[in-house]
Amino acid sequence: MTSYEYHRPKTLEEALKLKASIAGARWLAGGTDLLVQFNKRSKPLPPAVISLRNIDELCAIDARDGGLRIGSMVSLTDIAAHPAIRDGFSALTESIRLFASEQIRNVCTLGGNLCNASPAADCAPPLLVHDARIELQSQGGTRFVELPNFFRGPGQTAIEAGEVLAAVWLSHPRAGCRSAFMKKGRTQMDVAVASVAVRVEMDGDVCRSARVAAGAVAPLPLRLPEVEAILEGARISNDLVSRARQAASRAVSPITDIRSTETYRRHIVGVFVERALSSLTGGGRVSDAAEVQI
Amino acid sequence: MKTEVGFELNGIRVSAMVEPHDRLLDVVRDRLGNTGTKEGCSEGECGACTVIVDGRTVNSCLYPALEVEGKKVLTVEGLLSARNRLSPIQDAFVEMGGAQCGFCTPGMVMTTVALIERNAAPTDGEIRHALTGNLCRCTGYVQIVESIRRAAEKVREAEKEKGSP
Amino acid sequence: MTDFHWIGKDHKRPDGPDKVAGKTLYIHDLTRPGMVFGKIKFSAHAHARIVRIDTSKAEKLPGVLAVLTGYNSPEVRVGFMRDNVALKRGKVRQFRDEVAAVAAISPEIAEEAIELIDVEYEPLDAVFDPVEAMREGAPLVHEVDANGKPVKTNIMPLDYGHQSGDIEAARRASKFIAEGTYSVPRIQQSCMGTAGCIAEFDMNDNLTIWAKTQIPFLAQRDYNRALEEMGLSGKNARVIVPALGGGFGTGLDTHCYEFIAILLAHRTGRPVKILYDRFEEFAYLSPRQSATTRIVQGCDADGMLTFREIEVLQDNGAYASWGATYPTVMLLPATSLYRVPNIRFSAKIVYTNNTYCQAMRGYGNPEVTWALECNMDDLAAKAGIDAYEFRRRNSNVPGETTPMGLQVSTCGMVECLTTTRTRLGWDDKRGKNEHTPGQAPRKRRGVGMASLIHVGGSGRIYRSDASGLTMKLDDFGNVNVFYGGVEMGQGLHSSITLAVAESLGVLPDQVHINQTDTATCPWDVGTHASRGAFMACNAAILAARELRGKIFASCESIFPAEIKKNIEKLRRKDPTFTPPDIDIAAIAKKENFDLARGIITLRGLPNESWAQIDIGRFLRAIHFRPDGDMLAARAFYDPPSELPDWSRGRGNMSATYTYGVQGAEVEVDEDTGEVRILRMTCALDVGKVLNLQTLKGQVYGGLVQGVGYALYEEVKSEHGRILNPGFTDYKLPTAGEIDFPIDLDFIETADTFGPFGAKGVGEPGLVPTAPAIGNAVFDAIGVRIHDLPITPEKVLAALEARKS
Repeated sequence: MTSYEYHRPKTLEEALKLKASIAGARWLAGGTDLLVQFNKRSKPLPPAVISLRNIDELCAIDARDGGLRIGSMVSLTDIAAHPAIRDGFSALTESIRLFASEQIRNVCTLGGNLCNASPAADCAPPLLVHDARIELQSQGGTRFVELPNFFRGPGQTAIEAGEVLAAVWLSHPRAGCRSAFMKKGRTQMDVAVASVAVRVEMDGDVCRSARVAAGAVAPLPLRLPEVEAILEGARISNDLVSRARQAASRAVSPITDIRSTETYRRHIVGVFVERALSSLTGGGRVSDAAEVQI
Repeated sequence: MKTEVGFELNGIRVSAMVEPHDRLLDVVRDRLGNTGTKEGCSEGECGACTVIVDGRTVNSCLYPALEVEGKKVLTVEGLLSARNRLSPIQDAFVEMGGAQCGFCTPGMVMTTVALIERNAAPTDGEIRHALTGNLCRCTGYVQIVESIRRAAEKVREAEKEKGSP
Repeated sequence: MTDFHWIGKDHKRPDGPDKVAGKTLYIHDLTRPGMVFGKIKFSAHAHARIVRIDTSKAEKLPGVLAVLTGYNSPEVRVGFMRDNVALKRGKVRQFRDEVAAVAAISPEIAEEAIELIDVEYEPLDAVFDPVEAMREGAPLVHEVDANGKPVKTNIMPLDYGHQSGDIEAARRASKFIAEGTYSVPRIQQSCMGTAGCIAEFDMNDNLTIWAKTQIPFLAQRDYNRALEEMGLSGKNARVIVPALGGGFGTGLDTHCYEFIAILLAHRTGRPVKILYDRFEEFAYLSPRQSATTRIVQGCDADGMLTFREIEVLQDNGAYASWGATYPTVMLLPATSLYRVPNIRFSAKIVYTNNTYCQAMRGYGNPEVTWALECNMDDLAAKAGIDAYEFRRRNSNVPGETTPMGLQVSTCGMVECLTTTRTRLGWDDKRGKNEHTPGQAPRKRRGVGMASLIHVGGSGRIYRSDASGLTMKLDDFGNVNVFYGGVEMGQGLHSSITLAVAESLGVLPDQVHINQTDTATCPWDVGTHASRGAFMACNAAILAARELRGKIFASCESIFPAEIKKNIEKLRRKDPTFTPPDIDIAAIAKKENFDLARGIITLRGLPNESWAQIDIGRFLRAIHFRPDGDMLAARAFYDPPSELPDWSRGRGNMSATYTYGVQGAEVEVDEDTGEVRILRMTCALDVGKVLNLQTLKGQVYGGLVQGVGYALYEEVKSEHGRILNPGFTDYKLPTAGEIDFPIDLDFIETADTFGPFGAKGVGEPGLVPTAPAIGNAVFDAIGVRIHDLPITPEKVLAALEARKS
């Protein structure tokens, strides 16, 4: 059979009921990954597809409990245009700006991007440095997972049968926080060869807190605690930034594939950490300001 | 099993019988005979299938047909005036040589429509960024960027004329 | 004619409005009543014996009309060496071998049927590297040739070579010598419109095929041969060419999928459409030929080139198509780019189990020019001579005869070199390893240049290099033009429209170019070798001359009577009107007439509307009279060139040659290895600009393909399987990469043989781009990458290697 059932539930409750009742049914978010798979017939078709596109409660961004709750079905375009995101979460805004094309951003969602769990998922490093939490809903209720624990492996997440990724939560950044994102591909359309997000909270030239995350250089997008440890509490200097660069290169485990080599990816992660830090703190070597948007 | 979807295509209410796995591209081209929109890659990379749904560009090769229910869709066919004349944007592409083999052209034009709608005077950098998802193999993009620059000019001129007493 | 009405200006293309409106019809948009859909099953191995094909399940699937294999259908031979067959028997030699095909009422059902075909293989040892394939005991890709004769080696029996002068003596006499080995990968033509065709038989067993082809008449020849092999001797193939959606060489050979469509159409009695999707396009269509080139050049103390030795090795893939003939065009730069008195050129072309290759824009020229122009910089450096100056000293000049025997009529190479030098700011920027201002020394800038020679007056590679063109006038002054070449986006229709308007003397709006159709158009060898405009416009000029002759001869009797009518009509309106006292009949001789902008005038009469008639009125006058006539003219233009002796590499293969130079300014980020282009320049000897807009389009388009070749593109394969069959991982340049100025300078050398002086320009844009960039990278960071594409990984690795 070359087709599948297509369901368009209007509420989350309806959607979860359907998912529980049809074995092998797949969630459909923006369609920019799933429909590519279907077009290419790279995997067998599922018996049913449950579209999340018509569920209002998944499509809102609102401030809640001192943070920002981004519904999992909000398009990347809408996320990047939201004032709260633009003003407080530069790494995320930049990663969206460089994400694929506008045609893709107009339908692509955080939910879909995260659930696809590609090691190169562009949204992941910025969300990691912004301490994102994932809200999962099921017929049994709600649970939260910290983003680092959400990714289990290439294409694998912490989502259990019957669960849907309902929202991504970000805490409002403290004053003095700035973040940056860089990715290496030839253009936005490329699957990243390596990507890096950095968030620092500066007190003068002392780094009060640091978050560093990388994508496409390990089986999962991941935080680099070794690099964060070097930065936190330290005074910014050329030497510090240099050590952070070296630590970043050592901390990742990239592979050689048709897109790039292990050596190159390891090297680039270090370069990006250095450049992001330099532009965020004014320390270290002068780098190309045009590459990093604050 | 086929379902009927009803939506607005280029200003006219239409309906089509679609399979669950059909894409908006299939509805527009095969069911409704608007062959201006092209299939170039089936994976959202080339933009030849670009149409505008509720004011936003999408790759119609990745847009499930069933999701177009109740929406407003604009394809390249919908740009012609009531008298079947080319729109100012299309005129600009002809004037500046933005089309060679023409296969990518409808997609390029639709992306241009959306760009100028939100940004009446885009810089060359903004134009190129907007074209990220539209591939061309013939032109090298130079005359396409020139066409879009000219298109923005023409749209501004047309707006002024409308506005003037 | 130096003062043209239309030629040389900036014109909108006549096919532009339909394209921007989405009304142009490509093969993707065409349907025929009763049409069904064909799909092909491809091999699961790079090299294997076919043990068994079981099609029974597929045949039973509702909606399936036919299932064909090499075992239940006539054998149709494919390729100029006839070493391929449409549906394979016995063994498969590459992953894209066609082992079965299905026709069904929908593409989905056809797809499903393909899955149901069960093929059992016995894998064989395979070979994927040409050096391995040449070794004693390597698995043989072909055990017999097309005639059944045993084959003992994977080296193909193709003899391309050139030798002139005394290489050894020249080597000994050289003061400086530079040597290098360079490689270029397979890249994909990547037309935005994928491959496809519709084949349909009528009840007389004649075939009509709508084909995505650049060679309608040679394709007709191939299809007619197939019809014979199908037992349909004497039946005819009619080839109709819809809008292509890009060509770039993909349409220069006939393909297995076309013959399969024909077989399915005959078996089912229905029109059959086969359309490749993007994956199939990448995985199963022939890409550009790859090559490894070893080059040695020498010069004397004054920097004059003394000798050049070039050896090319080509990984041909499993079957022969035009990739195997690239050396015919490689001979051009090898023997004739710059003046070199002693030359040796040789090429080895080797079967492997990789995908086989087709033509692509430039056809061997970019491959060798990459090596040659990088080597020129190396040699110049050794000789201590500036790279621009080195080229200028060895530049080609008008009137020379090159070692290959090319007769150079016009040659603007020196102007192109000096223009490039100025445009790039060469003297200020070259050799400075300049750091980007305000940046730490991690980004360095450099400039580089590279030249090109290409055929500009077609390229004779077949026993006829002619093109016919017919012009037919109707009662309204419309000129219906029939030309057998192909508009694929390059602007051919625009050029023909302007040439006809200019040479006949009508308005461009009165000129209508008809669809390319072997039934109605005169013969043409194909739209390749940048020959479209050169050939069609020359043929148009000849046909127009004939037509003007006929028009003016008939005017002798028609014109006076029509003017009399004009005068009478004027008199009725204004009785005071008095025409000048001229005996019109006396001056109405054919040599005194003119036709311009659609109006016929007579020398000796005043420039007033009553003294003129428009062409439509004239045509109705000669049509609707006793012994009436309709006017048409035909020309068959064969350019002054010769079919070379390829084994000796000698023959004047073109009527004229196009020259050019491209320059690049780059910035290399030493930390990331990224090469960023800051500026490109292109000075091109075009002979004469026909339509400025389409000329720029061709050059920009070719140059950007050259940028892709230099920096991004590569068909990656492993054990014969294509690893990047999609735009996700096959890196076409996007608009974002082309964010630098491109300066174009067109040098008009007014060629003797070109229509209005124009030379062919379709391919040159792509030829020198990679070495211009490669030479600029070397100038920036002192590192030379030998293997395209110049990726950040390679640059970084080379910088690291230099440190240690």
